[in-house]
Amino acid sequence: MFSKLLTRSLQAPAVLLLLVWMLVPLGMTLYFSFIRYVLNSLRKPEWTVPQLSNWRGFGNYEYVLYKSKDFWFAVQNSLFIVGSILVITVLLGLAIAVLVNRSFPGRGIVRVLLISPFFVMPAVNAVLWINMILDPVLGLNGLAVEGINHLVAGLKDFPLLGHFFSLWPELEPVSFRATQTSAYAVIMMVSWQWTPFAVLIFMTSLQSEDQQQKEAAVLDGASAWTQFLYLTVPHLARPIAIVVMIQSIFHLSLYAEIEIVSRGNGNKNLPYLIGEFASNNIGAASATGIFAVILANIVAIFLLRMIGKNLVD
Amino acid sequence: MVVSGNSSTFQRVLWPTIAWLVGLLFFFPIFWMVFTSFKTDADAVKPEFLFFFTPTLENYTNMTENYDYWRFAINSVITASFATLFALVVGVPCAYAMAFNPTKRTKDVLVWMLSTKMLPAAAVLYPMTFLTKNFLDIFDTHFLVILVLCLINLPIVIWMLFTYFKEIPKEIIEASKMDGVTIWGEIKDILLPLAWGGLASTALLCFIFCWNEAYWTVRLTTTEAATLSKLIEGNRAPEGLFFGRLSAVSTAAVGPIVVLGWFCQKQLVKGLTFGAVK
Repeated sequence: MFSKLLTRSLQAPAVLLLLVWMLVPLGMTLYFSFIRYVLNSLRKPEWTVPQLSNWRGFGNYEYVLYKSKDFWFAVQNSLFIVGSILVITVLLGLAIAVLVNRSFPGRGIVRVLLISPFFVMPAVNAVLWINMILDPVLGLNGLAVEGINHLVAGLKDFPLLGHFFSLWPELEPVSFRATQTSAYAVIMMVSWQWTPFAVLIFMTSLQSEDQQQKEAAVLDGASAWTQFLYLTVPHLARPIAIVVMIQSIFHLSLYAEIEIVSRGNGNKNLPYLIGEFASNNIGAASATGIFAVILANIVAIFLLRMIGKNLVD
Repeated sequence: MVVSGNSSTFQRVLWPTIAWLVGLLFFFPIFWMVFTSFKTDADAVKPEFLFFFTPTLENYTNMTENYDYWRFAINSVITASFATLFALVVGVPCAYAMAFNPTKRTKDVLVWMLSTKMLPAAAVLYPMTFLTKNFLDIFDTHFLVILVLCLINLPIVIWMLFTYFKEIPKEIIEASKMDGVTIWGEIKDILLPLAWGGLASTALLCFIFCWNEAYWTVRLTTTEAATLSKLIEGNRAPEGLFFGRLSAVSTAAVGPIVVLGWFCQKQLVKGLTFGAVK
């Protein structure tokens, strides 16, 4: 069609920009991960300048792996957070997609209501949830628990039922600012934001489901549940895989929510740990960064294979 | 729609009710934020005013005074708009060449572009800070934020455009070539009018992603080029003191984008799954 030169020069700006964007910072991270490099050091001022004479080999990697106690916790926590979010969003997303796939009055409005959380910026999402919803005293969490306690206290005065309710323990609102519970808070808010994404994709896919096959199944006397299990779920296998992959990539680099919800309370994932190291020990931060790249790439390879296969020529 | 035949009470009444309840439940946190934004800071934490209170607009009128909202909002608008514009300027010719004159390597190039998205931002944060602060001296400038936003969204923009361009019949482009139209004329007079819808939704989605970006915009700015993400992140823990005003500024920060999002929810599927789900 048109000349090779023209094709190349049309693509060149995008390719070059992305090449520089990928190679330069990553190359620097790789370099920093092999040298001793700290931002402040009174004892060894020469370490504050990145130079080849500070070569440390795999020392930073060894330090991160064996000496810093947080690394394995951060990896574990990253995987726990990502895994929980995936299970919740896929299951909820499937249920809601099937629910909304039927026509009913106001379906369009319900769709709009459902998709809205996806467009809320992550910083607002975190601030909104941790303060106004999950706060154990002033948030809805605290108010709801207080309301229930109040109600139970009132019921205790009733003649017969009172005996039953006097056994009822006074409820304590859960604080979502401790190490473990703040991980739950992060899972909750991210799932709230990303379930709509799963719903949207499953719904798009449900619409291309073979209706004739379904009608045949109905004629053969298949129940709704059997149809769902043997026709719908296999049909959704690919969209489910894509939702899982894309979310893994996004959530492995989750940062804003963790920073806002659990700054300094010990709940950390890999990106947060890198940020902590980067306040002084750049060598260790870079080595951890390389580990994060490796982890992301393991996930990415699967995704790229799947999407690459789908490219029609 | 799915199940044909007799429709029981369950299907006619219960099903829509559950669907509506789920929809309302998901929207509730957003509703609560907007609702709280009309309470004074004092009322917002009093249980007796949970649902009934005297609405006030003071949180909105005092937004400039309390948070310097407009400075951050203008930065968000500037950076997101220009980043989107540049991503399209770089992305359109690239996607055009890939869609209408694919080579053996086109597929690999596309997949490689997507792989740049998978680089964890935290891994390269320090080098970026180091480069922009010590060498290029562009830390905390609009230019830097625009550049970074453009680069992180470029792969998605190219993928979306590519999937849209591929739907245009090749014959139209070939016919114009016979008529001796130049390459720029071809893009301007034939491609863009045909792909207008796809172009608009790509731009919209790119704008939304730029607006919501919270890692680079927070880390690579201090005051000069700080966006709304940075503003909200800086007020993360009001400890109940400022629920009213914080709700107002949050509503102002996400409101326009949520509304924009409603318009491109269908394109979202295409954009985020790179055309792999139909």
